[in-house]
Amino acid sequence: MTQPVNVSDLVLLLESTNLQMYEGVKGLVVDHLRSDRGPLLVNAIVDHYLENDSLPAVQILSAVQEPHDKHLLDRLNECMGKAATRLSAVTLLGHVIRREPTWIHKLFRAPVLVSLLKCLKTETEVVFLTTGVLVLIILLPMIPQAGKQYLLDFFEIFGRLAAWNLQNPGKVPDVYLIHLHASVYALFHRLYGMYPCNFVSYLRSHYSLKENVEIFEEVVKPMLEHVRIHPELVTGTKDYELDPIKWKRFETHDIVIECAKVSLDPKEASCEEGYTVMPKHFSTHSQQKHIDHSSSPFSESQSSIGSASATCTPRTTFSSLPGSQTQCRTLTSQRLPSEGLQDVLWSPSLSCGLSTPPSSRGLSPTSHETSQSASCLPPRVHSTPVGGKGQSTEPTTISPPLPCPAVGNELCSNLVTAAPSRKDGKLETGKPLKRQEHVTSGDKGATDSPCKWKDLETENAKTVSLKELPEVIKGLNLQEYGTEKENEEAAIADELSEITSLKSLVIRGGFDSPFQHTTEMLTGSQIKREQEFVYSATEQELHPELHQVPFIVDKAQELRTNKKGFVPIEKPNDSYSGSIKQEVIKAESTSLELHVPSPLFKVQALRPSTLGTRHPLPYEHLFELTLPKAASLFVKQKTTELQKLTGKQLEDPPSSLISPLDVLDKLIQQGGDAHVKELSRVYPGQPEPHIQRKMVRLPLPSKSADWTHFGGSAPMDELHTLRNQLILLHNQLLYERYKREQHAVRNRRLLRKILKATALEEQNLAMKDQLKLQELDIGSLKHSLIVEQDQYQQLRKEKESIIVHLNNQIAELQKDRDSYRASCQELQNKLQDCQKTIGELKLELQKANNKACNTAYLLNQMTEKFTSTQSVQQQMEWLNKQLLLLSEMNKMHMEKLIHSQMGSAQAMETEMVQATLIREKEKMRNRIQQQVQRMEASQRRIIELESQLNKKEHLLMEQKKYLENVKNMACGELQAAESRYEAQKCITQTLQTEILELYSMLEQTGPPDKMPTAENTAQSVEERSENVISESINISDAENKNQQAKPPVIPSTSTDRSPNRKAQPPPLVTELMDQSQDAPSICLAQPTTPVTVGSYPSSKSFLGMRARELFRNKSESQCDSERPKMDSLLDSLKAECHVELGSSLGPLKLQVPVEVPGPESVRQLNIMDYDETHDQN
Amino acid sequence: MAEDPQRNFRSHYYEKVGFRGVEEKKSLEILLKDDPLDVEKLCTFAQRYPLPTMYRTLVWKVLLGILPPHSESHAAVILFRNEQYQDLLQALQVIRFVQDSTPQVWVYLRMYQLESGTLPRHPSQSLGPEDKMLIAIAEAMEEMMENDVDAYWLVKCFVKQFNNKYGDSLPHLPKSLEHYLNLEDSKLLAHLNSCSALSKLPYDVWFKHCFAGYLPESSLQRVWDKVISGSCKILVFVALEILLTFKMKLMPMNKAESITQFLLNIPQENTDAIISKAIDLWHKYIGTPVHSV
Repeated sequence: MTQPVNVSDLVLLLESTNLQMYEGVKGLVVDHLRSDRGPLLVNAIVDHYLENDSLPAVQILSAVQEPHDKHLLDRLNECMGKAATRLSAVTLLGHVIRREPTWIHKLFRAPVLVSLLKCLKTETEVVFLTTGVLVLIILLPMIPQAGKQYLLDFFEIFGRLAAWNLQNPGKVPDVYLIHLHASVYALFHRLYGMYPCNFVSYLRSHYSLKENVEIFEEVVKPMLEHVRIHPELVTGTKDYELDPIKWKRFETHDIVIECAKVSLDPKEASCEEGYTVMPKHFSTHSQQKHIDHSSSPFSESQSSIGSASATCTPRTTFSSLPGSQTQCRTLTSQRLPSEGLQDVLWSPSLSCGLSTPPSSRGLSPTSHETSQSASCLPPRVHSTPVGGKGQSTEPTTISPPLPCPAVGNELCSNLVTAAPSRKDGKLETGKPLKRQEHVTSGDKGATDSPCKWKDLETENAKTVSLKELPEVIKGLNLQEYGTEKENEEAAIADELSEITSLKSLVIRGGFDSPFQHTTEMLTGSQIKREQEFVYSATEQELHPELHQVPFIVDKAQELRTNKKGFVPIEKPNDSYSGSIKQEVIKAESTSLELHVPSPLFKVQALRPSTLGTRHPLPYEHLFELTLPKAASLFVKQKTTELQKLTGKQLEDPPSSLISPLDVLDKLIQQGGDAHVKELSRVYPGQPEPHIQRKMVRLPLPSKSADWTHFGGSAPMDELHTLRNQLILLHNQLLYERYKREQHAVRNRRLLRKILKATALEEQNLAMKDQLKLQELDIGSLKHSLIVEQDQYQQLRKEKESIIVHLNNQIAELQKDRDSYRASCQELQNKLQDCQKTIGELKLELQKANNKACNTAYLLNQMTEKFTSTQSVQQQMEWLNKQLLLLSEMNKMHMEKLIHSQMGSAQAMETEMVQATLIREKEKMRNRIQQQVQRMEASQRRIIELESQLNKKEHLLMEQKKYLENVKNMACGELQAAESRYEAQKCITQTLQTEILELYSMLEQTGPPDKMPTAENTAQSVEERSENVISESINISDAENKNQQAKPPVIPSTSTDRSPNRKAQPPPLVTELMDQSQDAPSICLAQPTTPVTVGSYPSSKSFLGMRARELFRNKSESQCDSERPKMDSLLDSLKAECHVELGSSLGPLKLQVPVEVPGPESVRQLNIMDYDETHDQN
Repeated sequence: MAEDPQRNFRSHYYEKVGFRGVEEKKSLEILLKDDPLDVEKLCTFAQRYPLPTMYRTLVWKVLLGILPPHSESHAAVILFRNEQYQDLLQALQVIRFVQDSTPQVWVYLRMYQLESGTLPRHPSQSLGPEDKMLIAIAEAMEEMMENDVDAYWLVKCFVKQFNNKYGDSLPHLPKSLEHYLNLEDSKLLAHLNSCSALSKLPYDVWFKHCFAGYLPESSLQRVWDKVISGSCKILVFVALEILLTFKMKLMPMNKAESITQFLLNIPQENTDAIISKAIDLWHKYIGTPVHSV
């Protein structure tokens, strides 16, 4: 840090002329800037710059890096505040921002911007304003987002500066105003391009005021004519324009190009897509106008050819009209103060000519063509290339004749004079002239060549109507110019025809309809201006011609380099002025490539020429008018080429359009020329009246003061003005350079796009090839598909035939199947029948079986019967035997009887005995029968009774079980009761003992109440001992008694059993003493409570009752149902007994003793049912 | 019972698999449904399975004859028992053997004495061994039972039954303990013998008091299940298992007094496990009582 002073000192050394030293110092400073963060050095450099305008300082400052930007901007802000340093500060700022440092985005927050805007709003110094506006214009696309904040400031600045031109508050020289206006124009484009909606609304609001109407008419409206409608006006909104997000998508050059796109001014406009169409259209309009215009004067000129006045008159008339109109066009009017219409207003003719034809591109091919054709056909070359050019511009053909007569009339020297005059400034304009010259110079093939060319081109021409015009014109021309010019005119006409044919589409309407009709306001005025210009040009015949000499030289050089057939032009040059020739030669000698003279060259070239610098312009513009598009195109190209060649030298804007830029260009040109002239005059000291005239018209403030005349040094004011102008020019240059850089950036990008596009095209081609291949594949595949389809068809046919065959087979088989089914059905029917019959048979079989079973059963029965019958038979036999025996006995007895029948009585007796015996026998038989029956009955009865007995036994068993159950239950309860009783006993015992103890204690301890006698005491002791036993029993008794009242369960049984105890009075404890005597008896009577749980439940006992209930439930139903049965049985038995008793009168021999069951037996039977007995009881 | 359709057929396998007490409650319920309760079956059941707590009191009462087998007469019998208890209590109150402040256990003792006719003339008379046993059992029983009457009756009948049934076999129990200890763990037996502690083991508490007050209630109930259902051998096995369980602690002890002291105050934590093991042992040596279906 010891160095800052040194470094600051070093800054001064930057100005060193020693290159090494300079480099070293610069390196040191830069290094220091890199290492140091303090503002000191930057401030020092800035100061250095402000003092010296040092270029190295600018270089260093514009490369300043991030940390120093703030210092720099602060410093600039400071400087901006001081009026003295303001201009240099702005210039420095411009230098810095043109480098587009990385920190540029910070600028819109920096105070320097605010102060710049403030200054722009307040400052009256034009140089500063112009510089500031240019800086602002450069700055705007870099910080588009600043619009939001400062938009109104921008607009205000614009409004103020726009009004400046008219009001000129600073009373500044007009020259400055032109610069200022140019910058305002640029600002207008920038603002309109960037913020169209806001800007338009601002314009609307600002210029709707009455006091501003004039400004609008004068300044803003012409500007508006140079822009087309911004698309954003349709689609965008005010807010969207100010949206930072929108601007983020754009780079700086994008914005610049965007702004250029909406411009119609060829100087401003972009040549990118979207532009070309519009200008074309525009150009066609202008062309029409030109054609119209040119044709009309041409036709006029037909009448008055020879006289210059004649040619002049129509132009004057025209000029009067535009003169009034063009007053509005401040721009153009300003440009040429020499016109004398107003000191501010420049005659519009110049600007008119300049403005109308917008430049167009696409000339290069034509020029190329020209060169080619020129090489082929040297003499005709010129005609052909001109024709090529003429394609785009019809007026070319017409314009030459116009000046030609004028020149021819005025300057009788020759046509050649006109030619150079036209050529000056513009190569293209020169060319047609040359061609004409060539034609005039005696090239017989002039007509041929165009014809030839025409032949070549007529292929394209399709409209006859268009061709008619050139023919007419040709004819007219021929008439006018006579034989000499016939050829030329013919050539021109041919060209015209070619042009029309080529441009048929555009031109057709123009030719058919009256040209005047279609004239628009803009173009109309322009036309008039053109005419006016022509007029003025004719007025100042000489000047333009001479003035344009250097240009001619340049063109000549160019042409010479390009074409060999240029030679003829040189001649007129030579003839006119040797100086020019010298210059030309000089230029030739320098190099072929040196097409365009550097300013120096120009100056040198101009120096000898005594003609006014400005005058050639009108012709120039005329030519521009005549060659609107092609000319401007070519101009542009050439200018760019020239610019490239000349490096960063002053631009040589040859375009003659009327935009402020063009005006400025012109001014620069003229100013340069004038300056050179002045200088030359100062040095050589050869003042000329022409020049003086020029000087008067020059916008220099000292136009009246002709200081150059006096040979003295220029006054300071003048010098200052010039210096300022220089500064302005420099600024303009820098601005233009900046624009160029932006375009370069843009171009690079576009180039990249083109490369990409070509790559894509190649890719497309490759894809197409692939597509073709694939199509081929598809074709082969289709072919194979067809083959396959054929095969498929064949196969299908085969398949179909097979199917048909199979179907037939199926049908047959179905038939077979049907028949089989039918037979099957039949068989099934049969089967069913069979089954039915089988079923029937089975039924029959079953029946038969049944029968068989029945018969078997019957058979069994029969066998049983048979056996029984056999036994009966045996009995019968036995009985028969007995009978036989008896009968034998009887016989014997009979014999005996007969033997003894001696006696009848005996016989009678025997007979009687016999009879009784028989009777007795029968009786016995009956009895047997009865006995058997009775037996059976009794047996049945026995069986019944036995079953009954079983039931009863079962019942008994159940009852016993139940009884057992109940007994157990009762036992359990009883046990509980017993234990309780035991416990009670124990309790009473203990209580008794307790009581006794208490008594004894009483007796012992307490004093005896009534001491009986001593004996008594002894007795009482004995008694007591006895009572101990008896009492306990008594107490238990008492307890029992007590309990009788409580639970009735036990007492109920015991009370019945011991009825005697009822009589006993309940022994109370209190009575114990009295009862103590009776204790033994009671003790004996104590019931042991033998609970008789008898097997026979007595109805009186509780248990019995329950048992009986239970029992009855079970058995009563049975008993009740049996009883009637048994009764009936008994009855029957009884009846039998009686019968038997009654019948037992017969012989006892055969009587079987039968027990007759008496009523007792019956009763015994009934005993079993004790219920019944009970009931009976 | 095996064919009882109400029982789950799986119940026969539970035991095999090691589940216990799964179906016992159910089978017990089935047993208790019989009208004249089959005391034999209940006995077998109680020997074989642990009784569910909710039926324990009932089963004990039936087994001890406090309630008759006939459930119909239960109400009446319970009434009797209640009255008897009240009478006894009243009598004791009358003769001032029992005051309100007298502990319930003493009330039971006095009642028992009154019933058995051994009531001393004065309440201050010293207690006999039987009385001590009764007090011990009564204390345990009082813990188990909610009802005083039930407690008294259970105590009374338990003591009666115990004295009647096992009175003769009680003196032989130490011998059988020695026998089984020899079978199970002769080392321990030898150790005890060497310490001459075998004779000084707390037989009174173990056998006479039936572990009353010695084991926690829940364990004791399971022992008493077996005792009430007619086996005093279980006492031997419980004692044996106690010895086996605390073998590790007993082995280092050499003094008979300390052994006795320790055995009198065994830790109460895992007595359930001891009882389970003891019952297993008991089943092992005596054999599982067979159901007489």
